[in-house]
Amino acid sequence: MIEDLRRLEEDALGEVRAARDPRELEEVRVRYLGRRDGLVSRFLRRLGGLSPEERPAAGAEANRVKGAIDRLLEERRAALSLDGASGEADPDLTLPARCGWQGTIHPVSRVIDDIWSIFRSLGFTRARGPEVDTEWYNFVALNTPLDHPAADEQDTLYLAPGLLLRSHTSPVQIRTMEQYPPPIRIVAPGMVYRRDTYDATHTPAFAQIEGLVVDEGVTFVDFKATLAEFARRFWGPGTRVRFRPSFFPFTEPSAEVDVKRVIVREDGREEETDWIEVMGAGMVDPAVLDNVGYDSERYTGWAFGMGPARVALLRHGVRDLRLFYENDMRFLGQFS
Amino acid sequence: MKVSFRWVRDVAPGIGLRAAEAMERLALRGAPVEEAVDLAERLKDVVIGRVLKAGPHPNADRLKLCRVAGPDGEVPVVCGAPVVQEGACYPFAPVGAVLPGGFRIGKRKIRGCYSEGMLCSERELELGQDHAGIMLLEGQYEVGAPFAAAVGLDDVRMDVEVTPNRGDLLSHVGIARELHPKGQGGIALPPFPGSRGEQVAGFARGAEEAASGGCRIRIEDPYLCSRYLGAVIRGVTVGPSPAWLADRLRAAGARPINNVVDATNYVMLELGQPLHAFDLEKLADATIVVGRARPGESLVTLDDEPRAITPDMLMIRDARQPVAIAGVMGGRDSEVSRQSSDILLECALFEPRQVRATRRALAMSTDASYRFERGVDPSAMEAAVLRAVSLILATAGGTLDGEIIDAHPRPWVPPVVGLRPSRASHVLGVDFTPDAISALLVPLGYTVEAAGADRLDVTVPGHRSYDTLREVDLIEEVARTHGYDAFPEVMSAVRAGTVPDHPLFQLEDRLRDLLAANGISEAQTPALGPKRHGDVALLNPMSQDESHLRRDRLPGLLTHVERNMSRGVRDVRLFEIGTAFAPSDDGPPMESSRVAVVLTGGRTPPHWSSPPEPFNVYDMAGVLELIATEACPGATVVPAGARAAGGRPAGRRRAGVGSVDSGPAAAWGADETSAWVTPRLFAPGRCYEVVSDGGEAVGWGGQIRPELLDLPPWAGAVVGAEVVLPAVPAPRPDVTARDLPDQPAVQRDMAFLVPLGTAAGEVLDAARKAAGRMLETGDVFDVYEGEDLPSGTRSVALRLRFRARGRTLTDREVDKTCRRVLRTVKEKTGVEPRR
Repeated sequence: MIEDLRRLEEDALGEVRAARDPRELEEVRVRYLGRRDGLVSRFLRRLGGLSPEERPAAGAEANRVKGAIDRLLEERRAALSLDGASGEADPDLTLPARCGWQGTIHPVSRVIDDIWSIFRSLGFTRARGPEVDTEWYNFVALNTPLDHPAADEQDTLYLAPGLLLRSHTSPVQIRTMEQYPPPIRIVAPGMVYRRDTYDATHTPAFAQIEGLVVDEGVTFVDFKATLAEFARRFWGPGTRVRFRPSFFPFTEPSAEVDVKRVIVREDGREEETDWIEVMGAGMVDPAVLDNVGYDSERYTGWAFGMGPARVALLRHGVRDLRLFYENDMRFLGQFS
Repeated sequence: MKVSFRWVRDVAPGIGLRAAEAMERLALRGAPVEEAVDLAERLKDVVIGRVLKAGPHPNADRLKLCRVAGPDGEVPVVCGAPVVQEGACYPFAPVGAVLPGGFRIGKRKIRGCYSEGMLCSERELELGQDHAGIMLLEGQYEVGAPFAAAVGLDDVRMDVEVTPNRGDLLSHVGIARELHPKGQGGIALPPFPGSRGEQVAGFARGAEEAASGGCRIRIEDPYLCSRYLGAVIRGVTVGPSPAWLADRLRAAGARPINNVVDATNYVMLELGQPLHAFDLEKLADATIVVGRARPGESLVTLDDEPRAITPDMLMIRDARQPVAIAGVMGGRDSEVSRQSSDILLECALFEPRQVRATRRALAMSTDASYRFERGVDPSAMEAAVLRAVSLILATAGGTLDGEIIDAHPRPWVPPVVGLRPSRASHVLGVDFTPDAISALLVPLGYTVEAAGADRLDVTVPGHRSYDTLREVDLIEEVARTHGYDAFPEVMSAVRAGTVPDHPLFQLEDRLRDLLAANGISEAQTPALGPKRHGDVALLNPMSQDESHLRRDRLPGLLTHVERNMSRGVRDVRLFEIGTAFAPSDDGPPMESSRVAVVLTGGRTPPHWSSPPEPFNVYDMAGVLELIATEACPGATVVPAGARAAGGRPAGRRRAGVGSVDSGPAAAWGADETSAWVTPRLFAPGRCYEVVSDGGEAVGWGGQIRPELLDLPPWAGAVVGAEVVLPAVPAPRPDVTARDLPDQPAVQRDMAFLVPLGTAAGEVLDAARKAAGRMLETGDVFDVYEGEDLPSGTRSVALRLRFRARGRTLTDREVDKTCRRVLRTVKEKTGVEPRR
């Protein structure tokens, strides 16, 4: 008995689910719950023929099955009527899709993220420091005497005598080494400020990312190897990397790092770009290590600084840096 | 530094490099060429033209009608120059020629007369600024010959980027020394055309004081001026320089002035030693005193500018007054002019920091000060003064009177720097033997001597005596000369660092992802803004619009809503993460990282299936909750004023009518008058606060007061928010998972008639509390205002879902609870159920 009921329930629920419109649903209802010929109704009428011992259990089960079918019918009816709101006909699949707004991460942030994720895989962590800093951290501790022409390279914005907006992220080197002992292996992204007016390649505030490694036995060979590895991961495996002598007061030997990328053109041919200058770098000057109380005979290190906005400019073929800071939705929306 | 490559080849005859090779080599030695101009290429269409006849133009007073002999015979040329000499040669651009600026010469009719070509000025050929007159060529030229080659401009001008440590590269000899395989050994200065040979002269030497040729030189401050050489030349004829000299200066980007001044500039560009020539008759008592300015003195420099000189500045003085600012610029009144006959040539060495301080105080920079600041070779001064004397005698005539005066109070001693080969290997990662180091340094002019088992004594040449004073400086020279490319790239094993990844970066990353996933795009705006946006002022701002550091980020972001809308963009959804600055009494301003958001326009992209729905404050409440959950665990988002009104905020509710006074503006200091403080940007009654679990407001959001924004008439409501991020975010607590319910839930809906002055949140709060422990969730699911309701009321419908652990709820107990809820809501808020 009970077995039959359960089978009946299974069939009924299956048919309710399969019904594609209210008319079919009504047919299912009549077939099972119809007062006269409904299968469940007929079953209920047969209860009288059962023994008094069997009757209560079978009755309760029959009522449960009836309720279950009823509930599902109700839900299915509601679902079908909602469906019906957009018309009885099949949807026109050529109509535009319905989506939500797409938000985008700023192209300069994305470059920072990409740089960071490579250095993270090379064992680096991130450090930060204040944007307003002192001449000591921004210049003097970095082996840049204020009466040396090197201090002119970056025209600095001041808040008060001795107090300035950092003109590079390098003060984070000093602050980090003051706070932590070697080994140091950090990158430090952040905003920096210079007394530049807006033009196609300059803005007074821009992002920079700094890197610093200090440990025993760190050499110029490690320095070249790590930055070349970064460059190949960032710009692609075929990228050529060139180190050119340069000058920064806080590194010696100092280098500019250039890359030459391989670009695959539409017709499949590979082509090399010109040398592109991407970062300034070098071995940490022992005077910098002395200034933070590290033993510069024992420890050596290397550092780099790069401008993610310039990298983003090259990456996306943007001609004017100002586009990055106008925040026009039509521009930002392209970087989804 | 503008370099004429032809000049470089002339001073280093065996250099054997083409221009492109030289540029590559310079780049790899640390002095890249920013720009190279092939002077001949740009001027390839310009030829030598001779003016045969220059007569008045029949129809124009200011024009002349000339007959010019050029490559294709005689042609008529209309010329606007005030002076055209018949018989003289000029650069001539015939019909079809293209000038450096891209201008194409055509056959044109000017005021009724045909002109078939153009006589050119320096400016038109981009050789100088002079455009008052056409460029008269002195000397013998072949008509029709290419102009560039004829005047020695078949040359490449390279703009070399010289780093501040390499003052020695600020001359053609310096560049040649870097390029020539033999270094200094490859330099051989050629004699000048028309020279009577290198001047040989004796030196009248003294310490603080020296004299000869009727002129006396005294140095008052030997620390600031360690040497002053002077040469008296009498009977010069000041006039235009010969063509070769003028051409050479032009090729290096300098402007010819007269033969004496040009000679000083020539020697400076060739050897790097700045020189100055005085009109000797203008120097009182024919005396030079090098000393500080006296109080109250003034000087007009030769650019006609009166200079505010102060007693800390070093001056060149005559017996009475200052006549030049030492190492920076000469004075106007003692300048060499066409009337000058006797001159004093100055070749001095000034202390770099002194020159730098002076020229900065005077806000000026000259070729001389630029070189002194970076260090001038103390060992090359005698050669420089002799070369300048020879050049002046060759081009301006006259004779050297007496010996060269040499006041030299502080003789220069070459520095000796110790270098351990083991240290070089330790830093560079490649082994260098003493012999290898010697082979790398000696061509650069260093002398290397062994001084122990692991020590070399390196004597530094004069031209590098400013920047190689430490062991590490020499190690750099070893690496540079060895070639950075020659070092292998082998990564060695590394140790993990001690610095933890800063948690604020991690929070910022999560917020970026979260907000972008919610359809909002990241903006970046500068932290600099106008005065009304900040309390921390810059000392040296670039403009009024960038004079202060922002106290909040939202005001800046709002200007980008305005900018988008002014360009017709209606749907603007921007967020930004950046630093805000608050003044502090003692020390640097306080910095905090902020996240700011603005939303305006449609909540979803336009779609045919439904009408557009604009963003409103409820959307911003949702964004605030997203941010608060991520950034400030334990914080709640409440209507602004709820906190001020009664301690701990109850729940979200609408601020009552007339809450202007209890709004965030009042919470801010009464003396704060600026409207551009984030909590004050919002319309009264349309503002939320994020309240930390410590009861402190750490964020604000709501509808921006429309009167603050400059928006087009079609703009809808703008909602915005700003949240202060914790300086060091705590790690996110681990979530303890709940079991899924094992019992069915019972759901009941109930509607209330809520008077307009009463907050729905109060009703909800009362209902939740009354529902007790069985309540699983309870929230508003419908708000309805309609004519079928009593006036002044709205219907607020709640959906309560009950569930009990371990047992099935009965209808009876749920019904009982619901009756209690209705009763309590009425008691607590006076609100009746809707029937």
